[in-house]
Amino acid sequence: MPNDLPLKDVKICDFMWVMAGPAATRILADYGATVVRIESPTRIDTARTLQPYLGNKLGPDSSGLFANCNAGKFGISLDLGNPAAHAVVRDLVRWADVVTESFSPKAMRAWGFDYESLRKLNPDLIMLSSCLMGQTGPLAKIAGFGNMAAAISGFHNLTGWPDRPPAGLFGAYTDYVAPRFTAMAILAALDHRRRTGQGQYIDQSQAECAIQFLGPAILDYSVNGRVDGRVGNSDAAFAPHGVYPAAGDDQWVAIVCRDDDEWRRLCAVMENENLASDSRYACAAGRLEHRDAIDSSIAAWSRALDRGAIESRLQSHGVPAHQVQNSADARTDPQLAHRGHFVALDHPSLGKFTVEGPRAKLSRTPAVARRAAPALGQDNQHVLESILGYHETRISELAASGALG
Amino acid sequence: MLSPYRVLDLTTERGLLCGQMLADMGADVVKVEPPGGCSARGIGPFYKDAPHPDRSLYWWAYNRNKRAITLDIQRDRGRDLLCRLVERADFLIESHNPGYLSQHSLGFDDLARLNSALIYVSITPFGQDGPKASYADSDLIVMAAGGPLILAGDADRPPVRLCIPQAYLHASADAAVAALAAHHERIRSGLGQHIDVAAQQSVAMATQSYILAASLGSPEVRRMSGGIKFGPLDIPTVWPAGDGFVAMTFLFGSALGVFTARFMRFLCEQGYCDEATRDKDWIAYGEQLMGCVEPLSEFERVKEIVRTFTRSHTKAELLQLALERGFLITPVTTIAEVVESPQFASRGYFQSVAHPELGESFRYPGPFAKFSATPIEYRLRPPRIGEHNSEIYRGELGLSEREIAELSRAGII
Repeated sequence: MPNDLPLKDVKICDFMWVMAGPAATRILADYGATVVRIESPTRIDTARTLQPYLGNKLGPDSSGLFANCNAGKFGISLDLGNPAAHAVVRDLVRWADVVTESFSPKAMRAWGFDYESLRKLNPDLIMLSSCLMGQTGPLAKIAGFGNMAAAISGFHNLTGWPDRPPAGLFGAYTDYVAPRFTAMAILAALDHRRRTGQGQYIDQSQAECAIQFLGPAILDYSVNGRVDGRVGNSDAAFAPHGVYPAAGDDQWVAIVCRDDDEWRRLCAVMENENLASDSRYACAAGRLEHRDAIDSSIAAWSRALDRGAIESRLQSHGVPAHQVQNSADARTDPQLAHRGHFVALDHPSLGKFTVEGPRAKLSRTPAVARRAAPALGQDNQHVLESILGYHETRISELAASGALG
Repeated sequence: MLSPYRVLDLTTERGLLCGQMLADMGADVVKVEPPGGCSARGIGPFYKDAPHPDRSLYWWAYNRNKRAITLDIQRDRGRDLLCRLVERADFLIESHNPGYLSQHSLGFDDLARLNSALIYVSITPFGQDGPKASYADSDLIVMAAGGPLILAGDADRPPVRLCIPQAYLHASADAAVAALAAHHERIRSGLGQHIDVAAQQSVAMATQSYILAASLGSPEVRRMSGGIKFGPLDIPTVWPAGDGFVAMTFLFGSALGVFTARFMRFLCEQGYCDEATRDKDWIAYGEQLMGCVEPLSEFERVKEIVRTFTRSHTKAELLQLALERGFLITPVTTIAEVVESPQFASRGYFQSVAHPELGESFRYPGPFAKFSATPIEYRLRPPRIGEHNSEIYRGELGLSEREIAELSRAGII
């Protein structure tokens, strides 16, 4: 397919693994960047072992998480413990505009692939290192995953009920936030290099990126000395603001009134004259004070009704409402379908593999998920021959050395 | 890094982070607010809890490094002034309901005629069109629609959100990346384009690809406090410590089982479990449980052993063990612990930003990354209403003091 995508001239040598890093280079691949993903043949990418699996069956290529984070990339297997692989890495670094890595600090240095060494091969190189806590500091070496970074940056403690232990957010929350900052940083550094000829090194702490998403809570502490706690689904300004039961097993609908008018319309849809005429509830301050009583009334009404019907009826009256969707609901959600959120890619051995499509729609040069995530070492030949221009004998020698696994 | 570029930021409270990300990287971001100020200035918390449009901490959180002008774009003279600014702008960001700006002849097509290189970024709850495009929204509604909400909370209560609104931050961040990708293409083509970001899609990122489960033929997971229910298995991710809670990855499989095996060896050394427990096949353990080779009651016993261990140590002790021995443990921290953390202090993360009109400085979340050649600088504290009217209207558009005063009297600025 001809590549006329925005980043068609951008070349990335990508050592990143698991989720936070690969999710970032997935975005850049959708915009057209050529991303060569280096994978270890001996130490499997954790993402390849994580659910959900295609057909609910564990296999080397069946992880939906891996497929989703690595669509559009080329994959090469390189055993970095093997010196013969290092020559390939050096050639990839010479080829690349950008080198990305997300190992624990010092791993790249141990291989001789730190920024100072690599820029000798490629003087205007942009290199980005991404890890949980950053390259420096007493916790720099903490190994692990985004659920741990989310805990230590305050997210878990703010999710749940005041009378219960922290419920915590689902999964590796900082891995959902950091990739956007990673992609941003790379694009801005490329623009700077285009104008000045100057490359640079970027030290990204996934926790420090994620804390950008807690700004008001950080400031409430640093300005007012207040330490926010868990408040369930309560909001400081809006009431009602909650998740209410609907007919069926574990079925829920979110309902919010942002102003007094929406409250009156909610009462009208509920056909609840008592609530509508109760002067205590006429304005937000009163509703906030009596939120528990209001929540009980709404739950008593919603409990027997279909959640989709609640959503459409309230929305047709301009009241914010939505059924709480799981993946089956999302699959049939008409809006996500309209947006083309789910994209079925052809996988060489597994048939159709559904991933998420690009999240932003560009009117003139739309992003596209161009190919399924590579199997381990799937593109060795392409990368070595077409990208690096290696002769067939050299490729055979490499394979014989065990450098490709 | 982005200092040559001018961004007009017309966002409501929904899209503020996008402009701030560009501003942090050096772009000249001008927030264009209606007279009286952006809706976000009314959102708490406030400095000393006293509502005031220049003292909203929500505003402060997402508007540093921006300048601010006021302009009534619904009126012809205001619209004309905006068009003059658009002619020299590189990006425009907006987060109004779909169709609103077009009604005022300020849609993408209108402005592209004035400036064909303009990158026009729209951030909305559900996108510019489609069956739910005009849905009434809020953070909670978008989190419900996009998948993350169902995955968090106690099993016996409704799903629960993070209490700091997140949905539009995810969307704003996607929008900022898209804007720079379009900019990269503009260098070649000289042309701008329209970028349409839907928060519903952006927050799906926070499902860790579980949004795909049904499409892949994989079962749903279900929420539980401090963990996740995976079929019959209750998998904790938050564990009790002596003085609070810790997050710990205690999982199985060929990548994570190695960590669990290392951890269980230590528990055995410390006398928390016997050798038979230590020597379970932690790589295959998940499959053994799912295949009923290992009874669930045995997994419950193992978890109780782990809990006994974590409960008998403080968060700090567990963190130290994680550092020394490569365990996958971090403390669940309060915001105070985050801001006072030695780790962030050693990296100079939290930045003191002076608010001279209040005679005080406050610690803000610091730069999102350390750039060796072009470090992020906090040049400007979040602007007061209309703070840069004179700079822009007089200094840049060449309006006289008299014209500005007249526009101000007419309520245009």
